[in-house]
Amino acid sequence: MSPVLATMRTAFAEAWSNRAAFWTQVTAIVLNDVVWIVFWILFFRRVGPMRGWDRNSVLVLLAVLATGCGFTFGILANARRIGWFAADGDLDAALALPVSPLAHLLVRRVDSVHLGDIGFGVVLFLAVGDPTPARLAVFLFGVAVSIAVMTGFLVLTGSMAFFTGRTTMADMGFNAMMILSSYPVDIFVGASKVLLYSVVPAAFIAAVPARLIGDPGLGDAVALVVAAVVFSGAGWAAFTLGLRRYTSGAAWTRA
Amino acid sequence: MSVRLVLTAMATAARRNTSDRSGVLVNAVFYVVVASVLSALWRAAAEANGGEIAGYTMVAITWYALAAEAATVSLNMRTIELICDDIASGAVESELLRPAPVLGVRISMAVGAALPRLALCVAVAAVLGPIVGGAPPSTAGVALAMPALVLAVTCNLVAQHAVASMAFWARDVRAIWFLYQKIVFVLGGMILPLQVLPDDLERAAMVLPFMTMAYVPSRLASGHVEPELLLLQLAWLAVLLVAAHAAFGAGERRLQVVGG
Repeated sequence: MSPVLATMRTAFAEAWSNRAAFWTQVTAIVLNDVVWIVFWILFFRRVGPMRGWDRNSVLVLLAVLATGCGFTFGILANARRIGWFAADGDLDAALALPVSPLAHLLVRRVDSVHLGDIGFGVVLFLAVGDPTPARLAVFLFGVAVSIAVMTGFLVLTGSMAFFTGRTTMADMGFNAMMILSSYPVDIFVGASKVLLYSVVPAAFIAAVPARLIGDPGLGDAVALVVAAVVFSGAGWAAFTLGLRRYTSGAAWTRA
Repeated sequence: MSVRLVLTAMATAARRNTSDRSGVLVNAVFYVVVASVLSALWRAAAEANGGEIAGYTMVAITWYALAAEAATVSLNMRTIELICDDIASGAVESELLRPAPVLGVRISMAVGAALPRLALCVAVAAVLGPIVGGAPPSTAGVALAMPALVLAVTCNLVAQHAVASMAFWARDVRAIWFLYQKIVFVLGGMILPLQVLPDDLERAAMVLPFMTMAYVPSRLASGHVEPELLLLQLAWLAVLLVAAHAAFGAGERRLQVVGG
């Protein structure tokens, strides 16, 4: 078994060790997600279809988002902690290992609360996504892109802490990404919409994958692949460059 | 608890909060993003319905969203989780030794920390609102919304302390903040005006305390001059304070800390 897989297995065992807390947290996040379903049902009940989006297409968006977020924040939980590690000089333990520091960090911790998102997202897609084999394949492709873009973006913004010594960029990136990706991209117009396809790539997290599931097209598929490659590459490059400026905080426990 | 102690605790927390410049920046950017998104969503909804939704025009719904987000973004929604951590870890024990009520000091400091952020959100809204939606529908409504925002933040923080006191009985209730937050989202009118809810749910939301936490200031800021809503907030604040005091007091009496 590769060291990265072994680390991941240990992280899962750690998360699973407190069963009561595990199930409490999973249940809480599922209830949390259900509230979003309630919101969108209430919204479209009153508003009706809007700018090409209706209740079902937005629920598919929610399914992609929940599954992607569940994987990124649950299984690659340290993706959003890179900035804290860099700012606090907290990476020593990872640097001493004979594996890629970034790969080790990403799989080192499982956040059980977000594992509920994965189950919720898949079940929601099966319930409202009209799942044929082809649509299921597109759903899985969209989720994979979502994970790659989200992880790459979080590592990219977190790695800015190597250069600035502060986690401000990581915090802003995370918050902006989460909010902007939760809504149909077509409610935005003009420069805001351009922003969602570039600086904060929220459109590629859920809206474009959901659109691809409903209306498959080569353009959207290529755009998703390009976004995944660009943002995961940018995240890796920023982390690698940032490590050259890393200063130890003599802390060995959190990474 | 004396007024002087309350003011001192609030001022200390406010100073501590404003000294974190990057935190202030993150808060302002977060507010701009979330308020822009929500107002864009509701303007699109109003546009799809002939310029009005549930009695709110596009301008009114913009100011509703701006006020609702100011009332919630300005406070730490994870306050419940933080209090639960302090109770579960026994850290609250050291506060019990002080010659001041734990709950009073904690609420005062939480409100004190929230007020500078609230002022910042209001300042941002004053610039953002006219750009994305237009001038406020009513000056009187905006004037009433100011004290309503302060009361909304206070009601929310007091309610969070009341809910968090469950940690005195059950060790791990941190996840409950997810549920509390979502109740405020929907029944508090944070992400949608209560008039959008089905009739029965709207009636239920109107008699629950959560509506004081986002709906009331938003309703006022959206041009509905209904000063009686402020009295409703004051009444609910009194009820919530009594509930929090009773729950925290009972919890303190049964607290057991092992080790130190």
